[in-house]
Amino acid sequence: MSRVLATYNIKGGVGKTSAAVNLAYLAARDGARTLLWDLDPQGASTYLFRVRPKVRGGVRKLVRRRSDVEKLIKGTDHERLDLLPADFSYRHMDLALDAAKHSTDRLARVLEPLRREYDYIFLDCPPSISLVSENVFEAADALLVPIIPATLSSRTFEQLEALVAGGPQVLAFFSMVEVRKSLHREVMAKLRATHVTMLGAAIPSADEVERMGVERTVVAEIAPGGRAAMSYEALWWDVRRRLTAGGS
Amino acid sequence: MAQWTGFELNLTGIELLLPDGIRADAAVDALSTRVPIEEGPGAERDLRFYDTFDGLLHGAGLAFVHASGRSALVSLEDGSERAAITAPEPPGRLLANELEPGGMREALSTVIESRALLPLVHIHSAERTFGVLDGSEKTVVRLVLDEPAVVVSANRRIRLAPRIRVAAVRGYDKALKRVHETLLDDVGLTAADRSVLDEAVIATGGKPEGVSSKVDVALARDQRSDSAAASILRRLAEIMESNLPGVIADVDTEFLHDYRVAVRRSRAVMRELKGVFPAEQLARFRVELRWLQQVTGPARDLDVYVLDFDELRSGLPEASRDDLEPLLRVLRDHRVIAHREMVRALRSDRAAELRAQWPAFLTGLVGLPVDGRRGAVLPIGELAGERITKVYRRMVKDGRVIDDSSPPEALHELRKKGKELRYLLELFGLPLHPGDVVKPLVRSLKSLQDTLGRHQDREVQIATLRSFRDEVSTLRGGAAALMAMGVLIEHLGEDEHAARAEFAEVFASFASKSQRALVKEAFSA
Repeated sequence: MSRVLATYNIKGGVGKTSAAVNLAYLAARDGARTLLWDLDPQGASTYLFRVRPKVRGGVRKLVRRRSDVEKLIKGTDHERLDLLPADFSYRHMDLALDAAKHSTDRLARVLEPLRREYDYIFLDCPPSISLVSENVFEAADALLVPIIPATLSSRTFEQLEALVAGGPQVLAFFSMVEVRKSLHREVMAKLRATHVTMLGAAIPSADEVERMGVERTVVAEIAPGGRAAMSYEALWWDVRRRLTAGGS
Repeated sequence: MAQWTGFELNLTGIELLLPDGIRADAAVDALSTRVPIEEGPGAERDLRFYDTFDGLLHGAGLAFVHASGRSALVSLEDGSERAAITAPEPPGRLLANELEPGGMREALSTVIESRALLPLVHIHSAERTFGVLDGSEKTVVRLVLDEPAVVVSANRRIRLAPRIRVAAVRGYDKALKRVHETLLDDVGLTAADRSVLDEAVIATGGKPEGVSSKVDVALARDQRSDSAAASILRRLAEIMESNLPGVIADVDTEFLHDYRVAVRRSRAVMRELKGVFPAEQLARFRVELRWLQQVTGPARDLDVYVLDFDELRSGLPEASRDDLEPLLRVLRDHRVIAHREMVRALRSDRAAELRAQWPAFLTGLVGLPVDGRRGAVLPIGELAGERITKVYRRMVKDGRVIDDSSPPEALHELRKKGKELRYLLELFGLPLHPGDVVKPLVRSLKSLQDTLGRHQDREVQIATLRSFRDEVSTLRGGAAALMAMGVLIEHLGEDEHAARAEFAEVFASFASKSQRALVKEAFSA
């Protein structure tokens, strides 16, 4: 059976898409059959993989399982890595979910037939607390939560843990880290000391991460051996280890 | 989770061959002017394939392949893995029961049973990969240009025709169709009608489907009987010849089994169609083939004991199963000795002479004068039909007088006749008569033979167990083994009785009125 991993944060612009895309790439590179579902109507990961952001039948048919989800999947440039693309209609996903029966586990049901086919399914989630995120909590085995080491990040983390209590495993990691900033260093030290579930790996704020949007590919192809690429490798290693330990 | 295999087999999918004389580089040039392509990483790989002598894996649509410290059982149809193990390169001969218990052992043994996997072919493949790009420079089709070679030895390779594999990217079916058409119509590639594995096996002079021990000789009803008999016997001699090296090297037990079946079938043909051969030569070759049957007998009997040992042992209560170990040791020792003696006989001058003279005699048979062999010019349809009818009627007659007071020999004799009938039906009945008549008869004969066989096997097993008693008793654990053997002998005796009790019923169905009518109608001239 597959593991469903969702990159999630209530806030936007914290590195969710970068994490989803780069971790999914690493999973596939290591031999796992991997799917990334771009749930964000902005379609950033769909764009990065050069796939057209279009889902035939739109979100309503998809969440009601009226479309054949297997036919909506597109292969990416990377072997074993497939994408379920974003669609502009995803901006109304909340409404579509609300209108359906069992409104909190619709996404889990959509994923059901795919769990046999894939070893890892990544969900790249839009920032919000909504029926979409409730569905994600229901479907995911673990949340991968990027956190920028700033003043309020500790609070964000605690809020999230309270929100999903009893649900998926929460694996938080530092994102967009600028080691030259003493504030970042202090916050990181403090959070790591107080939150044992915080992952060790941290993703730097790096040029190659920003260039992903221009070159439309993963950091491992833009700057293999670069700091960001190494950090994602370390993060993926960390995540896999925790998943095994968690045994979800 | 599916493990990353480290190699994709690419035995399947769309495979295209370059036109004759076109080098791979030129093909890439030609390709790049037709479709936008981008070269990806290349790879060189060594793939070692294995199959049984008779190609059981190939027949089941599977391949056993070893590469990069890993062995996998893969489907030839879609390349999916049925089982895989991390293991060093398999030895020259691999039996399923030599593997650690697990998925691979299970998956393999259901297909190959007691046959050994042997090295089939070693392919070195040198691959370049290309992505065909769309307007957004996204890969929509993958191409693999392979320049494979068969590695015959350290310094000898046979180059195979370069081929291009076209692999779909999910969700881009239209692009796949377009690229495929371009490669065929525009670039001039042609569809490969064989997989690279089959191509490699053929290049080394082998057969992808393996070496068959089936007779499968086409006959015509009005064919002269001596010509029909000669072609069947030549095919049987060929089967003996192809299995002989495996018998001598003791590769697996099926070589000897198939060898002996061919000998026995040959003897049945000689006996049943004796009128087609010159009497003097017939007598001589019958003696020689009987000798072959005899010198291979003890080794086969012991093979069967060792093969059936687990089943035999399962008839014991759980607690005393291990007590039989000393018996297995004795059986194995005897098997080694019997095999050695058999090999000595098969390598003797006598055997060599027979191997040379027998096929030569068969080839010349049709040209010999027909005086003194009246059957030779009869149409085989007539002669075989007559023999089938005769043997069948004889069995019906003999079987009818068997009752509870008949000695075991009466059943043994009936079984021998049954084997004769079975060979006649298989060798001459099936190729010459409609299957809907022959097959039901073969089925009811088979169930009769199973019962008679069980009866005789049990008797022989009991006698053999008794003959090993003294030897087992001298070994450590011998006392317990003797007790366990006593229980076994009792069980076997009960089964012998049961088989005897079943006889009346299965024989009644074999000799029923409708069956008799069917035989009369189908095989009488």
